[in-house]
Amino acid sequence: MRVIVVGAGEVGVHVADRLSKEQHDVVVVDVAPERLDYVQSHLDVAVIEGSGASPAVLKRAGLKDAGLLLAVTSVDEVNLVCCMTARGGEGLTRVARVSNPDFYEERAQLQPELFGVDLLINPERELALETFRLLQSTAATDLIVFAHGAVQILGLRVTDTAPVAGRTLAEVGAEMGHRQLLTVAVERDGTTLVPTGATEIRAGDHVYVIAAEAEIPRALELTGHEFAQVQRVMLGGGSVETYYLARLLQQHGVQAIAVVEDRGRAQELAERLDRILVLNGNVTDVELLEMEGVGGMDAFVALTESDETNIIASLVARQAGTKQVITLINKSDYMPLARRIGLDVAVSPRLSAANAILRYVRRGSVTRVATFRDIDAEVMLLGVTAGSPVVGRPLTELDFPEGAIVGAILRGESVLVPRGDDVLRVGDSAIVFALPDAVRQVVGLFPS
Amino acid sequence: MNIREVFHIVGALLVWTAGAMLPSVPFAVQEGLAWPWLGAIGVTAAVGGLVWVVTPRIVSINPREGIAVVGLGWLAIVLAGTLPFVFTGVAPTIPAAVFESTSGFTTTGATVYSTIEQLPRSILLWRSVTHWIGGMGIIVLGVAILPLLGVGGAQLFRAEMPGIVTDRLTPRIATTARLLWGVYAFLTALLGLVYLALGMTPFDAANHAMSALATGGFSTRTASLGAFSPAIQWVTTLFMFVAGINFTLHYQMLTGRWRAWARDPEWRWYFASTVGAMAVVFVALSLRAGAWTADGLRDAAFNVAAVHSTTGFATADFAAWPAVAQVVLLGLMFVGAMGGSTGGGFKMVRAAVVAQHTRGEVQKVLHPRAVVVTRLGRTPVRPDVVLNVLAFLGMYVATHALGTIILAALGSDLVTAMSAALAAMSSVGPGLGDVGPAGHYGHVTPAAHVVLSALMLLGRLEFYTLLVLFLPGVWTRAGGKR
Repeated sequence: MRVIVVGAGEVGVHVADRLSKEQHDVVVVDVAPERLDYVQSHLDVAVIEGSGASPAVLKRAGLKDAGLLLAVTSVDEVNLVCCMTARGGEGLTRVARVSNPDFYEERAQLQPELFGVDLLINPERELALETFRLLQSTAATDLIVFAHGAVQILGLRVTDTAPVAGRTLAEVGAEMGHRQLLTVAVERDGTTLVPTGATEIRAGDHVYVIAAEAEIPRALELTGHEFAQVQRVMLGGGSVETYYLARLLQQHGVQAIAVVEDRGRAQELAERLDRILVLNGNVTDVELLEMEGVGGMDAFVALTESDETNIIASLVARQAGTKQVITLINKSDYMPLARRIGLDVAVSPRLSAANAILRYVRRGSVTRVATFRDIDAEVMLLGVTAGSPVVGRPLTELDFPEGAIVGAILRGESVLVPRGDDVLRVGDSAIVFALPDAVRQVVGLFPS
Repeated sequence: MNIREVFHIVGALLVWTAGAMLPSVPFAVQEGLAWPWLGAIGVTAAVGGLVWVVTPRIVSINPREGIAVVGLGWLAIVLAGTLPFVFTGVAPTIPAAVFESTSGFTTTGATVYSTIEQLPRSILLWRSVTHWIGGMGIIVLGVAILPLLGVGGAQLFRAEMPGIVTDRLTPRIATTARLLWGVYAFLTALLGLVYLALGMTPFDAANHAMSALATGGFSTRTASLGAFSPAIQWVTTLFMFVAGINFTLHYQMLTGRWRAWARDPEWRWYFASTVGAMAVVFVALSLRAGAWTADGLRDAAFNVAAVHSTTGFATADFAAWPAVAQVVLLGLMFVGAMGGSTGGGFKMVRAAVVAQHTRGEVQKVLHPRAVVVTRLGRTPVRPDVVLNVLAFLGMYVATHALGTIILAALGSDLVTAMSAALAAMSSVGPGLGDVGPAGHYGHVTPAAHVVLSALMLLGRLEFYTLLVLFLPGVWTRAGGKR
C-alpha cells in the first residue's frame, strides 16, 4: 500500500519507519529540506519537499494510488487542510493529527467528517491518558488497556522480595489456583521470551502480566509491589500533555501541582484548570521542587518539551524520594539511556501516535494494536470469525507460533484469561501477545 | 467634549421627568394641589424643552460624553424632582426637598418625614415613581425607547448601570435595555396584583410594588410594611430578594432557562449570604426573646432581605436589636445586592472577587511561586478587573470614612454618622442609632441633608460617573490634554 506521511517530525518519522519496515511504500512530505535529508538517509522511503496542504505536492506524492494519508505535522490546521485537499480519493484513509485542546472541548468537539478525516489522532492526549493509567497503578512500567480497562497488560519489575522470585510459573500457578491472571512475556537482559510453565522468574526480571481489572492488586503483590491509589502528583512543564493530564487528574479528584517555566503559559494553565495549583518556576530548580514537597508526592511526571530537562527533573524527583517518576522522552536514542540511570518509566508521544495509527493500517481482523516501550512486541485484539482455523479446538492444540500467546478472550461482556483447554468461539475477540517474528503468522490465523 | 450635545440629551431627560409627574396630577386635583403640580411640571418641561431646542442634534456620543450625560442628567433630574416637594409646600427646607428627591431617584428610601400619612397622595405617588424610574435607570429607559440615544447607548448604559461586566442579552444595546425594562415592568405588575389579591388597596399596592422592585424603601405608611399582614410581608420578602438579583438572570428565567439563577456564581453568594444572615439574626432575636416564634422568623427574614437588597422597608426597629444582629445588618448594608440589579451597595460580585483574590494572596504565602487566578465560579476574572474592584473598594471605604467624619462634625453621634453614611451610599435608607427604622432623617441639619444627598448619588452612580465631572480635563473640547 502506498502511504503518504505529511510532516517529518518525531511522530511522522517514527510512523514512516514502522510502516516501511512492514513493506509499505512510504512517501514523506515536509517543508524543511534538512529534515527530509535525515529521513532519506535513515529510512527506506521517498521524500517530497513542499506543503502537504498543496494539491500539487500531494499529486506529486502519488495521492491517486495512495491507500493512506497521514497528516501529522505539528500544526493542526495544516493537517486538517491537508485532509480536506485530499478529499474524494477512492479507498483512501485520511488520518489527521490534531492536538489543540480547543478542538476537544467537552460539549463541542471537532467533527472530523466535516474535514474528510477518517481518524483523528491526538498524541498528546493519548500520552496523557497512558500516563494517567500508569499513575493509577503506581508500580507499572507499562500499561495497555483493552475493553475500557476490563483487561490490562502491566509491565512489572520483579523485586528482590517478590513472592514469585526464584520460582517457576507452574509452581506459582498451582499455589494460587485459577485466577484471571497470566504472564505473557518476560524480559531479561535485553531479550524477550514468551514463557511456559517451566520458566523460572528471577528478581530483576521485567514481566508482562495480563490481568482482569480485579486481579491487578494481586499482580502487583506477586511481583513485590504495593497497590496504592495515587493522591498527590507533581507535574513538570507546561506542555499540551501537561494540560491533558492535569485535566484528567482534576476530574478524578487527584491533587496536582504543575511547575511551569513560561510565565504566560503558566497563567494560561492556571486559568484553564481551576483545581490545579500552578507554579511559575524552573522544573530543574531543586530548591523549588523541594520546597513544594516533591519527595512527599506519590508521583512526579516530567512533561516539558525538552527531553534533557525531563531527565534532569526526574532525577531530582527520584533523588528526593518521590514514589513514582514518569519521564516524557521524545528521542528514541535516549530511551535505553534513561533506563540505565534508573528512570524506568518513560512515555513518548511518538509511540502513542504510532499505536493509534498502526491500528488503522493492519489488514485482516485486527481491530486494535498496541506496542510496548521497552520490549519489541505487540499486543493485538483479533476477532474470531467462522472461517478461522482457531475455532473449536483447545488452545494447546492450535498451530500457534512459539513467540505468541493468547492472553485473554473477550466473550460478550465477560473477560476470560484462558488456560490450555479453553476453546475460542465465533464472535470472541482474542487478545494476543506476539513477538515481531510471530506477528504475520498470528494474523494469518485470524482471517477477516 | 461637545457640551452642547450633552445638554441636548439632558434637556430631553428633563422633558421625560416632567412626563413622569403626570400620574400624580389626578390626585393633586382632588387634593387642591393642581396649581403647584402644574407649576412643577411646567417649569421642568419648559427648561428641558428650551435646552433641547437650542442645542444641536447629537451625532454620536463618545465614552466621555456618555459619562457627562449620565452625571449631569442625574443632577438635573434630581433637582427637577424637588420641585413638587417645594411647590406643594410639604418640604420644611430646600435641602430637605433635595434629600427626599435624591433619596427617591437613588432608590434609597430615607425620608425626612416623621409621619408619612400626613403627606398628600400626589406626593406619596411621586415618591414611589421616583424610585421606580431611578431603579432600572431613567437613562437606560431612554436608551430603550428613544432612538436618539441609540447611537451612544452602550456608553450611557454602562455609566448608569455599572458593575464589573455588562452582560448584553442581545447584540443591540437598545434591545437589551428594552428587555430589562420589560422584565422590570412585568415583575412590578406581578407584585402589584399579588398585593391586590392579599387585600391591599390599589393605591398602596401600586406604591409598594414600585418601591419594592426598585429596591427603594418609600412606603405610604409610617410603620412601613409593618402596617400590613404577615402574608404581605412574606411576599415582600421574596420580591425584595428578587429585586436584588441581576435582571439579566430574571430574563433568562422568564425565557425558560430555569437554572439561570442557581448556575450564576454571584447568585449563589447572594443566596448563601441572605440565608446565612437570616439564620444568625433569627437565632439572636429568639435567644433574646426566649422563644422561637413565627413572628421572630418573619422579622429576621424580612429585615435581612430588606437590608441586603438595599430596599430599606422595615417591619421592626432593627436599631434596637441585639448587637450581633446589628453588625450583620451593617455588613449586608455594605455588600448590598447583585450587580445588574436595582439594588445598591458595594455589590455581591465585587465582594466575591475581593474574597477570591484574598484567598489567592493567602495561597501565595504558602506557595510563593504560585500563579493564582481569581475566579467567579469557574470563570477567570481578568487582572485589570480585579484591580478595578480593589480600587473601587478603596474608594468606597474612603468615601464612607469621609462621610462619617463630616456627619459627625455636623453633630451626629458615632453610630448614627457611620450607619447613615453607609445607608446613604448603599441606598438602603434606614441606618442605626437616630436614623434607624423607627426614626427618620427630619432632624439632621440642612448641611447634613446635602452631604447625605451627595453620598446617595455617589453610591448610585458608583463614584466614577459623578467624580469624573469634577476632573478638569473632562470639559476641554479637544479631549486628551489637561
